[in-house]
Amino acid sequence: MPTRFWKTLLLNLFTWTLILLIAFPLIWMIITSLKPQTELFRIPPTWWPETITFEHYIRLLTETPFLLYFRNSVVLATTTTIFVVTLGTIGAYSLVRFSYRGRETLATLVLFTYLLPSVVLIIPLYLMMVELGLSNTLTSLILAHTTFALPYALWLLRSFMEGVPEDLESAALVDGATRLGAFRDVILPQLLPGIISTALFTFILSWNEYLYALVLVNSESVRPLTTGVMSMLITAFNIEWSLLMAASVMMSVPLIIVFAFLQSYLTRGFGAGGVKG
Amino acid sequence: MADVELKDVRKEFGAFTALESLDITIEAGEFVALLGPSGCGKSTTLRMLAGLEFPTSGDISIDGRVVNDVPPGKRDIAMVFQSYALYPHMTVAENIAYPLKKRGMGKADRAQAVQKAAALLQLEPLLDRKPKQLSGGQQQRVALGRALVREPKVFLLDEPLSNLDAKLRAYMRAEIVELHRRIGKTMVYVTHDQLEAMTMADRIAVMHEGRLQQFDTPDGVYNRPANRFVAGFIGTPSMNQVEAELSGSEAIVAGHRLPLDRSRFGPGATDGAVVLGVRPENVTLEGGPLPGTVRLVENTGHEQIVTIEIPGGLRLLARAPATLPLTLGQDVGIGFEQAHIHLFEPGENGARLNTDAEARVIPMRARQGGQDKD
Repeated sequence: MPTRFWKTLLLNLFTWTLILLIAFPLIWMIITSLKPQTELFRIPPTWWPETITFEHYIRLLTETPFLLYFRNSVVLATTTTIFVVTLGTIGAYSLVRFSYRGRETLATLVLFTYLLPSVVLIIPLYLMMVELGLSNTLTSLILAHTTFALPYALWLLRSFMEGVPEDLESAALVDGATRLGAFRDVILPQLLPGIISTALFTFILSWNEYLYALVLVNSESVRPLTTGVMSMLITAFNIEWSLLMAASVMMSVPLIIVFAFLQSYLTRGFGAGGVKG
Repeated sequence: MADVELKDVRKEFGAFTALESLDITIEAGEFVALLGPSGCGKSTTLRMLAGLEFPTSGDISIDGRVVNDVPPGKRDIAMVFQSYALYPHMTVAENIAYPLKKRGMGKADRAQAVQKAAALLQLEPLLDRKPKQLSGGQQQRVALGRALVREPKVFLLDEPLSNLDAKLRAYMRAEIVELHRRIGKTMVYVTHDQLEAMTMADRIAVMHEGRLQQFDTPDGVYNRPANRFVAGFIGTPSMNQVEAELSGSEAIVAGHRLPLDRSRFGPGATDGAVVLGVRPENVTLEGGPLPGTVRLVENTGHEQIVTIEIPGGLRLLARAPATLPLTLGQDVGIGFEQAHIHLFEPGENGARLNTDAEARVIPMRARQGGQDKD
């Protein structure tokens, strides 16, 4: 089958070109982080480092506050995720299972806040945080991240919740469970894929967020990775490329690991949102 | 003793009235079917019995206790849902054990009770499977198992057979009747399928537009329908209902005179307009006073359903033996079997005027073993 063979070949060629194109910055990032300083600006560039070194990683971990930023980011993203998933699940349950005046309006309004550009919200948010005495704390960032992740999470979880048959809950109630018991025993297990994909989405959003972190927090001790690495390695006079690349690799690794494990849930989540949301 | 009692129960959803003043008393051990077209309020009634909906007014009692404010789990009821509502993440054994677990029964006792229920329903080989791995009939049996495992006072079944194919449905129908006979518990069974209601129930509550039309034995709803709705809803093909005029010892149908035994009808059947009802099997095709022409013959193998046109545009259905030679366009003389003529008040849902309706006390039908299996 010559035509079929060519077709397959062409398709593969096309796909791999595309992948290479998208993956190239990532690959270059890893390669650069492993090159010694001397090799960094050589022209023509070396595609494969002549000597592989981990000195940038070691320097980053021992001589810079990288680990502090990392800890901040983990605390920030994890807490935000827990907040958003908890509130989102309870909120979605309310929006789907109970009927009350203004339910649909509420749902639409929530989405409307998501449509506002975050730049518009940032100054009022900052002023609110100052008034609450939370300026320059991780808590202020957690609250801010929760405000912008929650609307989408609510909608995502709502479409998942709609997929859980009401009869299941009724059956659990008749079988002797309390409302909360039925929620825990029957609804939560059914909702697990939705919760995982929502959690993943929120975690990634919070982990990568830059603008809020830049505005709301400015002391070293509470900076997350995104702004911390930038302020540490990029100054008006110099950019520490090797360190920056090493930091970028280490920032991406946790996400890649989490993503690899939960990828199938995430695609399912986007499917549910796409069809029903 | 009354086991389940609904007293003047009313249910409104906003401006919509789902149920208007329902009074039903169900005896202990009785199998009652709530029958009616969709939207008649039968499922709402069942959900109120279960405690999943609350009546707008009126009282619901189970075993002599008013349960209006009692949550579903504390009503001593079990329910089988149309969708079975098996918990997908639990195995069959866990599904069946769930109500026991929620009642704080110990693990060993639970396992024993599950074994017993599984044996009753032939579920033993399936106990470790997940609901997804079961056929529709097996899922149905698991749902029944989960309902009967904790031996509740009352079973509520919400169209439990409607998701099964016809053959399995007939089989499960017999299974449920057999089960009822063995455990002797009160069952309330919601269905829109009159065949299920007629073959399974001791008594049938026929409902329409949020109102109870008749609460009677299968024999009662079939042979002594309370009104035009029940007469038309029960029986396939349904009862012929034609406008007629009473005059002395005759009824005039489409200008033709039919003899009528007036002693069978109460004082409501005065001279003037009525609706005359007669079932297809009580329509005779030979030697009757009403001229007609055969328009359609549907042969089902063991009988023929014949559509006859009477001059004046009236159409009647008749049931005839398959052996009767009939051709399209053939002229026949139609008659009605005197003992099976029903008269109704004119109007959309006119009441029945025969005298046998009030005279009868409604006995609970003695359940015979080995129900029909189709």
